[in-house]
Amino acid sequence: MHELGVVIEVIKTVEDFAKKNGVTKIDTLVLQIGELSSMIPKYVEACYPAAVDGTLLQETKLKIEIMPGNAICKNCNKVFNLIENNNRCPRCGSQDREILSGKEFMIKEIIAC
Amino acid sequence: MSTYKVLEIKQSVFENNDRQANLLREELKKNKTFLLNLMSSPGSGKTTTVLRTIEALKDEMRIGILEADIDSVVDADIVAQTGTKVIQLHTGGMCHLDADMTRQGLSGMGTDGLDFVILENVGNLVCPAEFDTGASKNAMILSVPEGDDKPLKYPLMFSIVDVLLINKMDAIGIFNFNLEAVKERVKKINPNIKIIPITATTGEGIDRWADWLRTEVKKWNGK
Repeated sequence: MHELGVVIEVIKTVEDFAKKNGVTKIDTLVLQIGELSSMIPKYVEACYPAAVDGTLLQETKLKIEIMPGNAICKNCNKVFNLIENNNRCPRCGSQDREILSGKEFMIKEIIAC
Repeated sequence: MSTYKVLEIKQSVFENNDRQANLLREELKKNKTFLLNLMSSPGSGKTTTVLRTIEALKDEMRIGILEADIDSVVDADIVAQTGTKVIQLHTGGMCHLDADMTRQGLSGMGTDGLDFVILENVGNLVCPAEFDTGASKNAMILSVPEGDDKPLKYPLMFSIVDVLLINKMDAIGIFNFNLEAVKERVKKINPNIKIIPITATTGEGIDRWADWLRTEVKKWNGK
């Protein structure tokens, strides 16, 4: 449910972009989803066919790139993956950190023919 | 053979909504209407809190209520009985409101002359947190029976709100709910948040909540 509404929004944005740029056929749509974002790639893929039905993207393939959920430790400056390390700096054990990447949900590009 | 061309879009999916929300916020500011986005789980006491809020503030400002639900007019009916301007929005299965739906609701209701509008969002702690509605301030209710672990489970919601109402305080003896633990957990992810314990059914704590609103509405409307 959550993903479907958002994916429909994505399709609208891409259709607008295509119109403005004179694109009539899109081969592939590339999305970037962060590991820390609330969008689950599996569900995005599952609802994609329903979302594109009857749109310009009906025949368009979907490709998802996963962005790592990385943070920098505020205590010792180590950059580490939050999920692999259970939100804790593997070097000093601190939980005080700043998120560098992984929250994004971006429309990266389209491959037009 | 067709030639393929890669076109970079590089646009955040939420950017479109964020833009709409900022636009709406500017318009509301110009029209001197304060919009409060009220979020919580289903059954936390949003509607009862809204009724108490109307009761506390109706003599000093003109209030409007936007009720958003997946279906039914139950909430709008209850609020309409107070004589307050109310409109029921149906999201048609969607789990949240976005800025565009909020705009439609506001223009359906007509905000001219209204000082303060409460948007009662769909009962959900996940999706509404991600969609800026264009509100002046965001508030959420956590009720005691839901448990004190919710800030750990739904950190995004707790991190984006300006004020947290902890409702059903009269039931704290029945449930294993540690108020101090909640405060600590919430302040960790949102140091500037204001936390107000209330019991909407009895009206306990509503005066503090009304004070907060009064100050914010005045600040926003420049009165």
